[in-house]
This record gives sequence, structure tokens and C-alpha cells, in this order.
Amino acid sequence: MAKNLSGDLTVASANRLADGVVVFLDDKGHWTRHLEQAALARDKRASELLLARARAESFSVVDPFLVAVAEDEQGDLEPISLREKIRVSGLTFEAIAADAVRYA
Amino acid sequence: MPDTHFYHYDKYDRTLLSERVEQFRDQVRRRLAGELTEEQFKPLRLTNGLYLQLHAYMLRIAIPYGTLSSRQLRQLAAIARKYDKGYGHFTTRQNLQLNWIRLEDAPDAVAMLAEVDMHSIQTSGNVVRNTTADHFAGAAADEIEDPRVWCEIVRQWSTLHPEFSFLPRKFKIAITGSPNDRAAVRIHDVGLRLWRNEQGETGFEVIVGGGLGRTPMIGKTVRAFLPKDEMLAYLEAVLRVYNRYGRRDNLFKARIKILVHEIGIEKMREEVEAEYAAIKDSALKLDPQTIEAIAAHFAPPPLPHRPAISGEVERLKLEEPDFALWLKSNTAPHKLAGYRIVTASLKPAGAPPGDASSVQMEGVADIADAYSQSEVRVSHEQNLVLPHVAVEDLPAVYRALAGLGFAEANVGKITDIIACPGLDYCALANARSIPVAQRISNHFANLARQHDIGDLKVKISGCINACGHHHVGHIGILGVDKNGVELYQISLGGDVDFGKTALGDIIGPAVAADRIVEAVDALVRTYLDRREEGERFVDAYRRIGVEPFKESVYAAV
Ligand code: SF4
Repeated sequence: MAKNLSGDLTVASANRLADGVVVFLDDKGHWTRHLEQAALARDKRASELLLARARAESFSVVDPFLVAVAEDEQGDLEPISLREKIRVSGLTFEAIAADAVRYA
Repeated sequence: MPDTHFYHYDKYDRTLLSERVEQFRDQVRRRLAGELTEEQFKPLRLTNGLYLQLHAYMLRIAIPYGTLSSRQLRQLAAIARKYDKGYGHFTTRQNLQLNWIRLEDAPDAVAMLAEVDMHSIQTSGNVVRNTTADHFAGAAADEIEDPRVWCEIVRQWSTLHPEFSFLPRKFKIAITGSPNDRAAVRIHDVGLRLWRNEQGETGFEVIVGGGLGRTPMIGKTVRAFLPKDEMLAYLEAVLRVYNRYGRRDNLFKARIKILVHEIGIEKMREEVEAEYAAIKDSALKLDPQTIEAIAAHFAPPPLPHRPAISGEVERLKLEEPDFALWLKSNTAPHKLAGYRIVTASLKPAGAPPGDASSVQMEGVADIADAYSQSEVRVSHEQNLVLPHVAVEDLPAVYRALAGLGFAEANVGKITDIIACPGLDYCALANARSIPVAQRISNHFANLARQHDIGDLKVKISGCINACGHHHVGHIGILGVDKNGVELYQISLGGDVDFGKTALGDIIGPAVAADRIVEAVDALVRTYLDRREEGERFVDAYRRIGVEPFKESVYAAV
């Protein structure tokens, strides 16, 4: 389990406009699918600025918001809430295989 | 096989729909080009049934009164394959949800729907939603009249009804034509129950103010007997009273159930009857020709005489115990002796309830063409139904369904679980539903054991909105979030059977996610220990009360 080592960490997330895919704002102001590339805000002030930047860059995404994350010793990020964990990692069960009959 | 006994859109329906598709295409184009903000666009996409969920857009497709032709089902499969991940989720409102639609593709997806007289309009927003019906409509042995005729009349009246396009809140109507209510009419904003009075006339009992969600209520009878041709005028009166007095100041108090609760059924009746008296002789009174013209679309298919008993069926019953169980739980009496209604269980052990892949949908469509007059129904219990299967064809249908994974003999049993999409998909969820359903389903997978346990309805919702109908489950499970941890509240004794409709009682503190199977197992063991001859779980609960169940659950978790 990742530990929050340095206070209120947040990243900015949104859903991509064209397809709804979960994305994060990176340091260059681009939206990326990869949490590890997300720009990390380490305190309240930085979080506010991050959200403001995300809103300014929201042309191609829907409703940016802040996600509380924890950082482990290796610097890997993980969202704190289950909802956001699921947004990052996808379904927690195996969906039906698209073109296979599961039980035949 | 042509779909002859289905409602076909006329030229007005088709024009309306094709115009809507083009409008939507233009709206999506403008949104993608940045000409519309999300704030401006959101109501437009929702009007077309396009939601944004956790990971993707979701398209909610209306399946009017749960009736599909094989052609329509094939088209749904094709849309799921082309624009989604090759599967869809059948819901408790007899709709289909596609969970991975791209905004860019949504106009093409709805254009494909329009090709088979379908749409996703009014599957969101504060409007009259898809009217649901008994999934055995037109086939059930106990049916008085086919309720779909009346559902279709409601559909035509309520589609884009200008006066009711901004109701205080969403509005759900269900209609049943049988004394055994399979449409759960007492838990809808309006429920209509066809029945025959002492004079031999059929009419509607009109029930208002039912609903689940945050404040569950059982609907109350506002009119015991309404002549059928007065249905629309009466519905219009109910909607007008609701539109006028329904609370718009508080989202949580805006449904009609709160209005009925606050002013009382007598006052509600007084208001509705006064409104009704003023409009009952208006154009809303249905003339016999209109009713007949619509009823003609639902004329029973020409079913040839077939023998009521088949040697092959009797032989297989002895040789294949699973087939014998399947006959018992997954087939129901048809109006004609040589036929049965078959339920294809979308709940094989461990599967996400209500999900079907494109291949499976096409497989069911093929079986419907070969054996069920090209007709398929969607049940609010998230299964598919083949309404007209000859007794002699049952072995072939069983095998074909088994090939798709849809012949699990569990309809009405503990693994025939209703579950909403929950936190895996839904932006409103507190907790997951599907994985909980899967674990319970795997635990109780043994069919002989399930049949020994008997009828037991488990219903799971991922939040208080209750899309999984947990309030009326014999065992209801509600996901709650406590400081970021998923917990599950258990309630017992809910029921939707007519005359027995009841809301479940919460048994105590919520249970941890990893103890939910143990909790359900404890409930079942208590029932098995205490049941009397022929007593279902819910009957035993009513007789012995909550204490023994509660004790065993909290000892087990
Ligand atoms: S009950 Fe809640 S979690 Fe489940 S589908 Fe409805 S809104 Fe979503």
C-alpha cells in the first residue's frame, strides 16, 4: 500500500472529450493516460494552481478535478479513494470477452 | 423471418427519429469543435441517452416495454461490436447500456438504432422514461390482456410531450396485464394493473407514488378501476398534478412519491380526479379504432398446434438432471398448451449479471428465429426471454442456450441476482455491485443446492439510488462508503409480488466487502434450519422475524 509521505498530494484528472478515457495533466500541460506522468501538487497552494491550469487546458477534456494521491518510497503514485483507483486501473472484474462465448 | 407482430414505426416516428439523429450529429460536431461548452452540451447529450461514466461514455438504449425482434437484437449486437467493446448490459428498466461508446461514434451508433426503429431518447432527464411491462406479455398463461398495447400508447403520448419535458424529476411507468405482477407495478411512479371487474370488464388499477431510491415507497391506489379508453386522460391528469405540485426546490424530494406522501393519497386523488374531470372528454379519450390499430401490431403470432407432451422432453428429464431443473426454473406456462415461455439466464455462475456479448446476443436472436417467432423480451430481472417455444423444441433450445452459456437453471434462484453496474462503471456509486454478485454466484453455483434453497431473490445496488432494487430483494444488499471503505448493508424481507409488495428491513450494521458471502451463507443456513414444508426464504423470514437471521449473520462475519 502506497504511503503518503509528504502531505496533501494531488494530481489533476478529467475524462477525454472525444472518448471519455481517464486522463491526467502532465507538467507540460498535456493530458496523458498515465498517472505516473501526472504533474504532482504537493501542497494546497500548488493544488489550486494545478486545478486552475487544468481548467485552462480543458479544451479536449470534460470537467477537470483534483484527485488525492499517495506516493510510495519509489515515487509511484496511487489514488487514495477506491473510486479513483478504479478510474486508473479499470474494471475490477473481467468483462465478457467481446467475441467469445464465455462458457461454450 | 419477418417481424410481423411488432410495433412498426410509421412515417412520423421515422421522420422524427432521423431528424433527431442529424441534430445530435451536429451537436456532437459542435462540441468536438469547441463551439459548445460542456455545460451547454451536457443536457443535449443526456437527452439522447449519452452519459459520461467513470471510464467512458455510456449510451442507454430504450427497449420499449422490453420487447425486441431478433432483427433489433442483432442490430444491438452489431452496434456493441462496432462502437463498443462487443458487449452490453441489460438493465432493471429493460434497457440496454453500452459502456464504452466514444463521443465521436455516438451519432453513428444512434443512426444504426434508428435503422431498426430504436433510439436512446428520453432515457435520461426529468421526463417520462421508457414504459416497462411484464416480460411475459402476450404469452403468459395467466394474462388477462397484453399490456404492451397500452405501453405503446403511453410511448406515443409521452415521447417529446411538450408539457412534460421538464418535470420535477424523472417519471417511470410500468404496466402489467396479469394478476401475477412481473412488472413490479407498485414500485413505480405510476403502475397500471389490468384486471377484470365483477361485470367482466377489464380496466386499470392506477397506482401512484411508488419508487425505490433514497426514500423507498410502495405505491398507493389512486383509482381502483379505470376504463381502458380513459387511460391517457387519466395519466395526463396525474402528470399535470405532479408537474404543478411536485417539489422542484429539493432534488431529493422531487419524485411523485414524496408528493403523494406529503399530501396523502386522498388529497392526491381529489386533485387528480378534479383535473381528470376537466380533460376526460378531450382528444385524449382513446377511440376504439386507435386502440384496435395499435393492438393489431401486437396480435398473437400464428402459433401452429403443437403437442403439449413430448416423449423426448420426458426422456431427457430422466436422463439429464440439469435439464429437468432448467425446465422447472427457466420455463413458464404459455397461453397455449403446446408451448412454454423460456428464460435465457444471463447469470451463469460468476458472470456479471445482465451482461451479454455480441456473439451471445446474436445467438439468442438465432434461437428466437428458429424457435420463438423471432421474438425476444428483456426482463427487469436482467434476463432475456423467448416467449413462444414449442414444448417439443425445448431440448433443442436448451442445448442452443447452453452453447451460449445462457442455460443455467437458476431463474428465480439465489444466483439469479439483480445487480446494478456499481462502482466499476457508475459515477454515482459508493461501492461495487458486480464483483459482489459474482462472488455470491460462485459460492452458490451448485444447481441442486440452489433448487433446494428454492426461490430467493438477491438484489444489489451500489448506492442509495437503488437501480439494483435492493429494497425489494428477499435479500437486499446496498453498497455504502464509510471513510473510503466499501461496506454492504443487508436488508431482508423485501418483495415485489403483487399483494405482497414490501420493503426490506435493514438487519444491522453494514458488513465488510470480504465477509458478504459469509453473511449471505449464514442467512441461507438459518433459513434451511428453520423452514417449514414448502416455505420460501421470504415466507420463513416473515414467520420467524429478523432475530435468528441477524444472530447468524453477525456470528459469521
Ligand atoms: S444504484 Fe447507484 S451505483 Fe448502482 S447504477 Fe444506480 S446510481 Fe449507479
